[in-house]
Amino acid sequence: MKTFTFHVSGTHCPSCKIFIEDTLNEHSGVQSTVVDLKQKTVTINTTLDESQQNLAEMLTEKIKHNGYSLSVEMQSTEKKDAGVIWHALPIGLALLALFFVVQKSGILNFGLGGTVTPATSFIIGLVASVSSCLAVVGGLVLSLSATVSQDTISDVKPMILFHAGRLISFAVLGGVLGAIGSAIGISFTATLILGIIASLVMIVLGLNLVGVFEKNMIALPSGIFSFFRKLEHKTIAPFLVGVGTFFLPCGFTQAMQVAALSSGSFVSGLLLMTAFAVGTLPMLALLSFGSASFAHSKHAPLFFKSAGVLVVGLGTFAFLAGLAGLGIINPLFNI
Amino acid sequence: MQKNIIISIVMSGTLIAGTIYFVSDKSANPDGEVAQSQNSEIKDGVQYITITAKGGYFPHVTEIKGGLPTKLIVRTDGTYDCSAALVIRSVGFQKILQPTGEEIIDLGTPKSGDTVQGVCGMGMYNFQIEVS
Repeated sequence: MKTFTFHVSGTHCPSCKIFIEDTLNEHSGVQSTVVDLKQKTVTINTTLDESQQNLAEMLTEKIKHNGYSLSVEMQSTEKKDAGVIWHALPIGLALLALFFVVQKSGILNFGLGGTVTPATSFIIGLVASVSSCLAVVGGLVLSLSATVSQDTISDVKPMILFHAGRLISFAVLGGVLGAIGSAIGISFTATLILGIIASLVMIVLGLNLVGVFEKNMIALPSGIFSFFRKLEHKTIAPFLVGVGTFFLPCGFTQAMQVAALSSGSFVSGLLLMTAFAVGTLPMLALLSFGSASFAHSKHAPLFFKSAGVLVVGLGTFAFLAGLAGLGIINPLFNI
Repeated sequence: MQKNIIISIVMSGTLIAGTIYFVSDKSANPDGEVAQSQNSEIKDGVQYITITAKGGYFPHVTEIKGGLPTKLIVRTDGTYDCSAALVIRSVGFQKILQPTGEEIIDLGTPKSGDTVQGVCGMGMYNFQIEVS
């Protein structure tokens, strides 16, 4: 029986500890594994008669698909990790700039005259999913998906639940709006406040993806993250976030809600809002399932950091726009 | 390694500066506004302003006279984007406009030096009406 201590890279969350310990313990010859998240070390008791270097390679093989690696020397991995941000920063910013160029170009402002039918609302959904609404809804989807992919091994289930929640809430609430007619108004202030909360969530998750918290540059009460983590593992939470997207500030969504209001019946409201939500699905599904597939590739660190930069940018934009919408600050943007 | 970092910082800086320049509100620069005050007219002692809402609000800045009862006409034409969700806080107006049509909003009698500001529901588009 020998004891080895390795340096580990890629550990960013409490659940990583459990995952690594469980996975390495399955390896034949490994008696016990202890992960120290603070020191970023893994201590292994083993009966295997191998050199420490060979063991590091063998065990890394088991966990590298999830973004972890073991090494004897500490410096090599640290250096690599630090370098990634310099690639990720321009990539994230370029995507952000692209987003604003598309908005400013006006190519999304083509006319859809006449009455709104489920067919037109589907097209409006397609447009909405790449419009300025992407800053709020898409940014939220990207930040949550990337965070979920980073933390959990089975990341597809919460994403399916999220999209299901979104589709069901649009269908049901669209139907309700159609049924009760113009009796209720959707409060602008309430949606703006919800949008600001969403943008703050995006900024925090984005900074986390970039790795600001990981390096202890900013000390945040760990309670916030463990709260998020608990939510991720609950079935209901992604579903509820999906439901909540109905209320996020998005001009297109609001216009569709009005169309549903004036449509006059439960079924027509349901059809309009469902068609709209289905129209937004391809882009949002691409964001969430794209995150999942990137997260399992070797470009994962680059993806997470680029996504983090992008999400922080979009979150900041949505936050400032939300404050301007509430009349707290003067508008800074006019895209 | 050092070279990469420098390239990265330069690229990032350029992208940030470019984006900020691109999206920032340039209303302070009057040269950019062509249609100023051509979109307002006085009829029977009432000042009417017309603003088109579609992918933003046009014209972005309007100059009007003070001391007159003023009405704002917001015209939509197949507008489904954020600009359809109009908020004008100074007169307590907030409404999601019909996709195609005209909305007449009473601005009361603005005083000289006032600025009436409208923003869309997400705060991404805005317009100003400056009372001179």
